[in-house]
Amino acid sequence: MKLTLDVWRQPDAASPGAFETYVVTDATAEMTLLELLDRLNDQLVEDGREPVAFESDCREGICGCCGVDVDGRPHGPQANTPSCEQHVRSFADGDRVVLEPLRAAAFPVVKDLVVDRSALDRVVQAGGHVAVDAGTAPDADAARIGHETAETALDFAACIGCGACVAACPNGSASLFTGAKLTHLATLPQTRTERGRRAVDMVAQMEHDFGPCSTYGECAVVCPAGIPLSAIAAVGKERMRAFLRGRTG
Amino acid sequence: MAVPTSTRPEPDRVPAVERPSAGPQPQPATWVLKVVMAVTGTVFALFVVVHLVGNLKVFLGPEEFDGYAHWLQRDLLAPLVPHGWFIWIFRSTLLTCLVAHVWAAVVLRHRARVARGPHRRQGLRSFRSFQARSMLVTGVVLLFFVVFHVLDLTTGTRPAATGEFVAGQAYANLVSSFQRPAVAAFYVLAIGTLFLHLAHGLWSVVNDLGATGRRLRAIGAAVAGAVGLLVLVGNLLIPVAVLTGVVA
Repeated sequence: MKLTLDVWRQPDAASPGAFETYVVTDATAEMTLLELLDRLNDQLVEDGREPVAFESDCREGICGCCGVDVDGRPHGPQANTPSCEQHVRSFADGDRVVLEPLRAAAFPVVKDLVVDRSALDRVVQAGGHVAVDAGTAPDADAARIGHETAETALDFAACIGCGACVAACPNGSASLFTGAKLTHLATLPQTRTERGRRAVDMVAQMEHDFGPCSTYGECAVVCPAGIPLSAIAAVGKERMRAFLRGRTG
Repeated sequence: MAVPTSTRPEPDRVPAVERPSAGPQPQPATWVLKVVMAVTGTVFALFVVVHLVGNLKVFLGPEEFDGYAHWLQRDLLAPLVPHGWFIWIFRSTLLTCLVAHVWAAVVLRHRARVARGPHRRQGLRSFRSFQARSMLVTGVVLLFFVVFHVLDLTTGTRPAATGEFVAGQAYANLVSSFQRPAVAAFYVLAIGTLFLHLAHGLWSVVNDLGATGRRLRAIGAAVAGAVGLLVLVGNLLIPVAVLTGVVA
C-alpha cells in the first residue's frame, strides 16, 4: 500500500511547526498507525534525515502514551481505539493521511507529534489521591463493596489519561477526564471520605488549564477506555454537591 | 530500651500533603457559569412551553385567545399581587435571566476558545456537534427574533408591527402580522433555530446539573428532544394556519 503522510514537524515548543509530506510505499494493512510511523522513520534514518518524534510505550492500549491526531481526529478513524491499535487497513491505497499532535492550548508541543500532557497530571495531583492518614491497608473484606459498585468504579478508573478527550473537544475541555477520576474515587469507601474537597480542588485545577464543556460528546467517541459521557455530568454533580455541603477545598 | 512498635507517625504529625496551587482561578468559576446557563436556560424552556400552550389557543378563536392574553396581562396571580403586576414581575425575571444567560455564554465561549488554542477541531459531522457548535449563532438569531417579536406583537412598534396593530387585540394582530410572508418566513426560521438551541440546551442542562444515572440521562435526553420537537411543530402550525386561511 502506498500512503502519503502529511506529518506535523516542530523542533521544539518555541519554534513554529509546519506539515511535511512523506510517502510510504510499503505500508501493509495489518500495520498499526505506530508501525507505519516506525516504517516512515526507518526510511528517514536511512536517508540521513531526522525521524518523526512520537510517543509510545506499551502499544497495547494500556499506558496512554500514544495519541496523535489523524485527519483531525484524536487517535485515528476507529472510534474508542488508541493510536497504537489503529490499523492501516482503515485507509485505502493511495490515501493522504494528516498526522498532527493532539491539539489543545493546555498541551504544548514538545517535539513533532509529542505533546506535554502535564496539565492532566496537575488535575490528578490536585485531588486524585488519599490525603488523610488512612492507616494500613484494611482487610480485603473489612469494607464490603458490592459487585455493581466495584464494576462502576473500575469502569471509570479505566481512564488511561491519554488526553484524547481534550483534543477531541472543540472547547479544549477535560471534563471527561476529570469526571472519570471524580466518579471513580467518589464510588469507593476509602476515597469517598475526601469527596467534597477533592471535587473543589480538582475542578479548580481543571478550570485553570481547560475549557468549559458544551456537551459536544466528541470526547466519549474517541476515548480508548470507553469512559461514558455521564462522566462529564459527574463534574457538575460533584462540584455542586461540594458547594451545597459548604466545602471550600 | 524502648522498641518502637510502629513506624507510622502519630496522626497529628502527619505532614500536610503538598497540593499544587491551581494558580489564578477564572472568576467566576466555569462551573458556576455553567449552572447559570442551565438554570436560566431552563426558565426559558419552561417559558416557551407555556408560551406555546397560549399560542395554540389561537385555534379556539379570537375570544378565547384575546381573553387569555388579557388574563395574562391583568389578572394572573391577582389578588395575590395587584392587577397588572404579574406581567411586569414576569418580564423583569425573564430579562434578568436573559442578561445572565448571554453574559455567561459570552464568557464561556471566550474561555473555550482560549483553552482550545489556535488549532480548531475540524471535520465534526454529527448533528449533536452541529447543534453544540451553532449555539452562539442560534442564540444570536433568537435574540434578534425576540426583539422583533416584542416590537411586532407586544408594543406594536412599526415597522416591525403592521399598521393595523391595536393593543389588546392579540388575535387580529397575530393574523395581520403573519399575513406578511417575510414575517412568516422569519418566524419559521426562528422556530427552526429555537428547536436547535432548545434541544441541545436541554441536553446540556441534563449534563451540567449533574445527571449521571443511566435512567435519568435517558429520560433527560428524551425530554430534551421531545420538548424541542413539541415547540417546533406546535409553533409552526400557527403561521401555516394563517397563510392557508385556517386562522383568519
